[in-house]
Amino acid sequence: MEKAKIDAVQLFVLIVLFELGSAMLIPLAIDADENAWLAILLGMAFGFFLFLIYHALYKYYPDMLPTQYMQKILGKYIGWALGFAYSIYFMYASARVLRDFGEMLLSVAYRETPLFIVNLLLMFLIMYTVYQGIEVLARTGEILFSLLYLFAITGFILIVASGLIDITHLKPVLEEGILPVLKVVVTETIYVPFGEMIVFTMIFPYLNNPKVARKIGISAIALSGINLTIVMAVNITVLGVDLTKRSQFPLLTTIQSIQIANFLERLDVFFVLALIMTIFIKITLYFYAGVIGMGNLFKVEKVNQLVYPLGLVVLLISVSIASSISEHIKEGLKVVPILLHLPFQIIIPLILLGIAFLKSKKKSKGSSASDA
Amino acid sequence: MIRKLQKLLVPVLSVLLLSGCWSKKELNDLALVSAIGLDKNEKGKYVGSFQIVNPGNVVGGENTGGGSKSPPVTVYTAEGNNLVGVSRNASAHVSRILYYAHTNIVVIGEEIAREEGIMKLLDALDRDPNFRITTTIVIAHDATAEQLINTLTPIDKIPANKILKMLRSTEKSSGEHLEIKTSDVLEALVTKGKEPVVTGIRATGGKIGMEMENIQRTEPSSAIEANGIAIFKAGKLIDWAHGRSARGIVWVLNRIKEADVSVDWNNEKDSIVFEVIRQNTKVTPIIKNGDPEINIHVEVEGDIGEMQTAADLNNPETIKKIEEKINKQIKNEVEKGIAKAQENKSDIFGFGDSFHNNYPNEWKKYENEWNDTYFPELKVNVTVQSFIRRTGLRTKPFLSNTK
Repeated sequence: MEKAKIDAVQLFVLIVLFELGSAMLIPLAIDADENAWLAILLGMAFGFFLFLIYHALYKYYPDMLPTQYMQKILGKYIGWALGFAYSIYFMYASARVLRDFGEMLLSVAYRETPLFIVNLLLMFLIMYTVYQGIEVLARTGEILFSLLYLFAITGFILIVASGLIDITHLKPVLEEGILPVLKVVVTETIYVPFGEMIVFTMIFPYLNNPKVARKIGISAIALSGINLTIVMAVNITVLGVDLTKRSQFPLLTTIQSIQIANFLERLDVFFVLALIMTIFIKITLYFYAGVIGMGNLFKVEKVNQLVYPLGLVVLLISVSIASSISEHIKEGLKVVPILLHLPFQIIIPLILLGIAFLKSKKKSKGSSASDA
Repeated sequence: MIRKLQKLLVPVLSVLLLSGCWSKKELNDLALVSAIGLDKNEKGKYVGSFQIVNPGNVVGGENTGGGSKSPPVTVYTAEGNNLVGVSRNASAHVSRILYYAHTNIVVIGEEIAREEGIMKLLDALDRDPNFRITTTIVIAHDATAEQLINTLTPIDKIPANKILKMLRSTEKSSGEHLEIKTSDVLEALVTKGKEPVVTGIRATGGKIGMEMENIQRTEPSSAIEANGIAIFKAGKLIDWAHGRSARGIVWVLNRIKEADVSVDWNNEKDSIVFEVIRQNTKVTPIIKNGDPEINIHVEVEGDIGEMQTAADLNNPETIKKIEEKINKQIKNEVEKGIAKAQENKSDIFGFGDSFHNNYPNEWKKYENEWNDTYFPELKVNVTVQSFIRRTGLRTKPFLSNTK
């Protein structure tokens, strides 16, 4: 764990950018058809609960990384192994997002550029950022946050101004009842993006004022959840459910539909910028969590020495995890949520919290007994 | 030493990586395709016509006098078994890379639209990252797409731009034609209870339009004009709507921006002209006694544009009476448009879709037989409310005072 501190605002922008990353760009929750926005909002509600679990764990051990307190809770060996599994999970997740990034850029703009090159360029940047540490990342986040919202607000005004929004596309509401929406919530939106907050358990110990963590977390999740809801609702009102469903990147198609006064058109660059900014933060946070986790487990003194070797591993994984975009997306939506997200984001934290709670109870009992 | 090398590495890497020269395309290696025409030939192969801009001949202006000798666009045609094949085969004729990011118009030949339908043509356009799905789509009426693409036009030298501007201005002023985007067609094709419409474009005068002479005359022997609205069913062109019924369709689609409505007065035909300035059409699906019905309410606002007869426009009562006549006239147009669609059993207005949105449970019953059973029998109640706001610079027409 490096000696660095971030403040409340920085944590806030990191969470928002992280949550928006890639979730904003893909047809999130589109299996719920017209009710995708509802599925995202419900996912957000569950996201609050998940966050409260992570936060409760943090409150028990405010100065420790999860890799450390897992050893406290579960004993040295099991805790260490679990911490190792989490570090691998974070690095695998960063490789997945890196692959997302490469696939998006190749589909949208750079058809003839090899995937490896595109990923390599971003990975260099990420390795450099992580090498510099969390403070640099947090400050970068602040700049990107203001830029992103500038673009987002301009884009939103342009979409409204070009008269593309057709509210009837959102009807009928709940045609098949609430069940299909809940199914999407349970299989998709809980995990991506809201359950991914698990990565911030690795970041919380750096917070200079631990008291604000809960307030900041809840408000950042609320802001990003509402933004994702707006993005999906706008996509559907502009494109209709079918086109949104068929699009790899509905937000891109929405932005391409903007045509104002015969010259404000083809604003694809808005999309590409949003893509690069949010995804950069997302991969960097995942990768950072993986690196400090590894550093902590193997007791490496200078954690940033691990950055380059692990970075290369992530880069190679990102290129080799899937042979096509279809395979990659299928894995991401059907396999990874059940096999990885469900245990790592929900089940294990719940168990950890349960044990931590019992332990603390026992301890306070013991101490009160000794007091008497 | 190593420190120095590291410092040197930064600029070197920046030069190599930031210049972004990977698969670069120079402007003078690109052929800007302004319009694509799609047909099918006797052998059953797709024929693509690519209208390519000759940049040097478009710029001209006053100095060049009568314009340059060679035409502002060149058309290449190629055939193939699918659209990507056609595009790749065309490269055998063109010295540059065909570049679709500036394509403004897709023209589909009437024959292929009638016989094979437009379904298969659209995926390549939808999928390609260069091509925009906001590109306007038109049908070549009574012609092959190639013929239309080949016709040269005066004023707007690039024919594709001429078609686009013409569609926009005619949608705005007469309301009998529509600018339809590729994405609109796609949406209508996939939405149950909605069929696409596309504007037809015609070239008069045949082959003569290919010659430069065509644009050197004051009255071109071959001109491109908007002509009718094509009605589709299941992706195939089945009928054309013209004139009043075409405008009726545009009314229901709520796409009228400006239009002229003429009514009879003093037993003189079409003697008062009402110019529409804004309108709003509301389509409300209802279910009455278990049967689907549609209520259409048109609210229209405008001015008096012409009086070829005597009438006391100072009197609000007269204005009321004229308004009533306008209501009737517009109602008539709307009903004609609906009748045309019902005749063809094609729900181009998306009435079915509005039932789906508002009565999702009942819709399940209609869904599969909508176009053939329910839509042609659908009862449509049209109400029109018009407002004459102003009468131009004059009050009473001078015809009221002639001796």
